[in-house]
Amino acid sequence: MGSSFSNSVGGIMKRTVVQIVRRPIYWFGFLIIPLFCFLFIASMLSNGLPTRVPSAMVDRDGSPLSREVTQSLGSMEMVDITESLDDFSAARNALQEGRIYGFFLIPENFQSDLLAGRKPEITYYTNMAYFVPGSMLFKAFATTAVYTKVGVAATVADMVGANAASLTPLVQPVNIQMRGIGNPNLNYGIYLGNSFIPACLQLLIMVMTCFTLGQEIKHGGSRRLMQMANGSIVKAIFGKLFPQTVIWWVVAFFMTIFLYRYAHYAMNGSWGWLLLSEGMFVLASQGFALFIFGVFPNLRLSLSVCALTGILAFSLAAFSFPVQSMYGGMAIFSYILPVRYNFLIYVDQALNGIDIYYSRIWYVAYIIFMVLPLTLLWRIKKYMMHPVYVP
Amino acid sequence: MNKITAFFRHLYQAYCKEFRMVTHDQGIMLFMLFLPLAYPVIYSLIYNPELVKEVDVVVIDSDATPKSRKLTRMLDAADQIHVLGYAANLDEARDAVNSHKAYGIIQIPEGFERKIGRGEVSPAVFYSDMSLLLRYRGFMVAATNVMQEIGGEIRTENINRVVPLATTVVTGDLMPVNSISMGNMRSGFDSFIMPGVLILILQQCILLAAGMGGGAKHEHPELLGYNPNSQKAPATFTVMLGQIFCWSTILAIPILFLIHYVPLIFRFPMQGDLLEEVALMVPVVLGACGMGLTYQAVVAEREQVFVTWVFSSVVFLLLSGLIWPRYDMPEIWRAVSAVCPATWGVEGFVKMNSNGASLSQIKDIYYHSWIVAGGWLVAGWMVQQWVLRRRLRKYFKPC
Repeated sequence: MGSSFSNSVGGIMKRTVVQIVRRPIYWFGFLIIPLFCFLFIASMLSNGLPTRVPSAMVDRDGSPLSREVTQSLGSMEMVDITESLDDFSAARNALQEGRIYGFFLIPENFQSDLLAGRKPEITYYTNMAYFVPGSMLFKAFATTAVYTKVGVAATVADMVGANAASLTPLVQPVNIQMRGIGNPNLNYGIYLGNSFIPACLQLLIMVMTCFTLGQEIKHGGSRRLMQMANGSIVKAIFGKLFPQTVIWWVVAFFMTIFLYRYAHYAMNGSWGWLLLSEGMFVLASQGFALFIFGVFPNLRLSLSVCALTGILAFSLAAFSFPVQSMYGGMAIFSYILPVRYNFLIYVDQALNGIDIYYSRIWYVAYIIFMVLPLTLLWRIKKYMMHPVYVP
Repeated sequence: MNKITAFFRHLYQAYCKEFRMVTHDQGIMLFMLFLPLAYPVIYSLIYNPELVKEVDVVVIDSDATPKSRKLTRMLDAADQIHVLGYAANLDEARDAVNSHKAYGIIQIPEGFERKIGRGEVSPAVFYSDMSLLLRYRGFMVAATNVMQEIGGEIRTENINRVVPLATTVVTGDLMPVNSISMGNMRSGFDSFIMPGVLILILQQCILLAAGMGGGAKHEHPELLGYNPNSQKAPATFTVMLGQIFCWSTILAIPILFLIHYVPLIFRFPMQGDLLEEVALMVPVVLGACGMGLTYQAVVAEREQVFVTWVFSSVVFLLLSGLIWPRYDMPEIWRAVSAVCPATWGVEGFVKMNSNGASLSQIKDIYYHSWIVAGGWLVAGWMVQQWVLRRRLRKYFKPC
């Protein structure tokens, strides 16, 4: 029994490997596309944060004080004052044309109004149609506004004969310091790479799992496959999918090691749990795809569903917009995606480095994805034995 | 004269042939109708709450004075924050964060009120979970606002004690600061990401449909409807034009739905002029069609599009400059992004739809999108003429 199992499974595996080696489409699906996605995302985000956001200064005052504000704004790392414009319309035009992402407006008579206590208003505009540069600019503008206030208060205090140093607490009596745990520099690459790269991997694993199985049915190889497996669907599927699992493991481990080791992504926890998670993630994604294939044992339909869920996963798995803020009807779908658990484990084990106890449930979720397709094996077997190709 | 009538006859035949093939192919119809009609709705629904509100945090109040309680109350009152409860110490607070009950810790040190009373700067620390930057951003905005607000109140209380003479100057806000979000007034996430994604969906649905159509013809060359070896075979250009017209007809309503009705339904910014937006879509669609005709060179089987093209949505999203601004991209990727039709479509559409730019204001983008469209159409013609037609000639018997 044992030897017959290994014989038949070995034969199927050999067949699978030969198929993979012979067809360029498999080379693309298993290696070239995943590695391209990985290198693309990692290199695109390698700067960490977009700095030097193009912006404009609208100085309608032209006084020493307003020029000082311009200087202090220009010295900020996040800002690049590329233009100096005369009025609001010109600045709005520049923003609409896309030359700048925001501007800082100082009204006319700013200095004299300020010193006379007429409370001039400063306004800054950020283009939030571009979230990332807009937010960076918002932060830089807000800081500059606070500095300006301190500077102004000091000037005023000097005039009334008070000690300028004693004024700082008056401008900002309470200071709340923001501390980002695990990613103090707000590195956008760490944040996006850790979610987009596994989501790409999940998409490709799902598509390739259904593609390889569906090809058997489409081209009539599934009967031969079942014959080789002596009619056992478990053997057939194992022999068909395990060589792929090995390829995906190599790809996933390479990505993990490259990111955390060489690209210096935040790694504050244990390598063991993280690698275990990646390994289980591959199996869970395959299991999920196999389940979909069990429900739609047809090449095009199963691929459509995999592509749909795989692409929606980028949004649904809540890498940018939290699950808690989504509508309930949407949020539940977040939990039927393996990549969601990959993300949660990365947050716990790599970014925050907390005890494995807190992540235990996410690992159990992986196991559920692996077991799920077992319930539909009978259906896959039926279609493997009686292949019908529906275009 | 004969040549002209022949051209139009061929064009009409190519159009009809393509129309029949597309409408009889469930897979292509899925890409041409389901994708642009259902996808944007699903996507918009995911992000539709727009703002991240009431995120749970725990407070460690080591000061336990009226002032520290006031700070907690004010933070709790902020839109972005919900105080889940108090923790006795950092360990307890960390446990709440680790067990995913809270996403931030506010630590108010002992002596918080005393420092304020003494006229010193009184610090508090806000630890934020960094798994999602939107949460951090919400915390940051709330903390900045509360800092200003509580500062104002304390200032009025303390003013006489510290510098009696400055009262006249420092009472109230010395220099009010306003922040205005342009293009997306509420700074909502849906309103930010969706206008760009709509254009990406359009490009991808054309590419996937074109790819699958190419695969279908590769598998069943009889779908072609003519013998490429015959003297009377229509010119490659004519067939291409017929196909593009056919796709554009089928996509006309989905395009209108994408650029007008989706923003209308989900209340995204709608500052642009619809006609000008349609004018922008012309080169974007043509470019995508050209790209699709080029892509057909490598599709040997209908289902291969799922393997070789679906993943590219993520690549095009990042290349479009929507998430990572184009000016800061690595040189090579900026160059690659410049030849994608969707890049210019996204750039132009976001500026028109969200920022209210007119077509003349984004003329550089518009010219660029025409150049890209031209380039892809030429590439598409070359592929159709020299790769696909040559391949098909072998399949058909010579006349």
